[in-house]
Amino acid sequence: MSTTIDVPESSKVTKGKAVIVGPQRPGGWKKGVAIMDFILRLGAIAAALGAAATMGTSDQNLPFFTQFFQFEASYDSFTTFQFFVITMAIVGGYLVLSLPFSVIAIIRPHAVGPRLFLIILDTVFLTLATASGASAAAVVYLAHNGNQDSNWLAICNQFGDFCAQTSAAVVSSLSAVVIFVLLIVMSALAIGKP
Amino acid sequence: MGLLSSIYDSCKEKRTYFGTKMKGSAIDEAGEISKGPAPRKGLKRGLSIMDFILRIFAAICTLGSALGMVTTRETLPFATQFVKFRAVFDDLPTFVFFVTSNSIVCGYLVLSLVPSFFHIVRSTSVKSRVFLLSLDTVMYGLLTTGAAAATAIVYVAHYGNPNANWFPFCRQYNNFCERISGSLVGSFIAVVLFIIIILMSAIIISKR
Repeated sequence: MSTTIDVPESSKVTKGKAVIVGPQRPGGWKKGVAIMDFILRLGAIAAALGAAATMGTSDQNLPFFTQFFQFEASYDSFTTFQFFVITMAIVGGYLVLSLPFSVIAIIRPHAVGPRLFLIILDTVFLTLATASGASAAAVVYLAHNGNQDSNWLAICNQFGDFCAQTSAAVVSSLSAVVIFVLLIVMSALAIGKP
Repeated sequence: MGLLSSIYDSCKEKRTYFGTKMKGSAIDEAGEISKGPAPRKGLKRGLSIMDFILRIFAAICTLGSALGMVTTRETLPFATQFVKFRAVFDDLPTFVFFVTSNSIVCGYLVLSLVPSFFHIVRSTSVKSRVFLLSLDTVMYGLLTTGAAAATAIVYVAHYGNPNANWFPFCRQYNNFCERISGSLVGSFIAVVLFIIIILMSAIIISKR
């Protein structure tokens, strides 16, 4: 009698113990992949938020008179750069919110659920990051080189600092894209091998 | 960390409880539906066939985009404030990149039909699926980059930028503008199809 009452209780207790010290399968290489995933995610947070901040604070006023009518350049003047700032901020926010799932993947290396969830969301936010980075890169390229055939002048010749900051922001966001691709591939590898 | 692990383990306990007590499908915290081994194989095969069909569609879309952009050429019959009266996609390096990336992705999709067909036939190949997924992700990055960069230039062409003194040349070159705007559509449809392909590959890999 007492054993039948005790057995479900003790099984729950042992399950509770298994949470902390129980015989889980050793993590092996999957745990290493999960730790790498966490570290890369931290790097991607830095890249994404850095890109948003750098672009958001890019503002240059020219002190002298030039052939331009406008002597001020800021990210506000370009719709593409506005899109860039908002999108990289959203991507940075997602990466921060995805850190707990990455931690769960470290603690439970053989679980498929958190990693699959992360792959799905990572793909969506990879799209956002790539789109914003690439469109900003196109505008930055135009600003550097101009285009003779459509009579678009290269504004970088006048606005040097603004140009340098926006270029740095674009580079940072594209490195976040590379990190995203690595994260997706690593999660897929960890899911695939049982 | 202990809190997270206990939350996760309580979710896992619910899943095993459902798996043993109730026959049929149960949904766990990640939204997967756990079925028996035979329906699982059917699901994998169905998703593999879907993957094959979507690859064909995406190849057609990217091919259409590349061709649509490459065959742009408009010559204005009258004199305007522009010095050049002819617009070709060559004039803008971003469009050259767009054509190049769409062509590369189209070629990759056609070549990847072979492994995709192999995955339909053999449902249990995991390593090659992971490899194909990693290649897919890289090509997806290339495609999205080309499409987004071309979209930024088309936006400037439509609306201009008064702060940088960039004139919207769509006002003069109507046909050229319509063509470059339309060819973006195929590329973005291929982007969406790629997302679905990658997600389906991830789901197939996770089902063992």
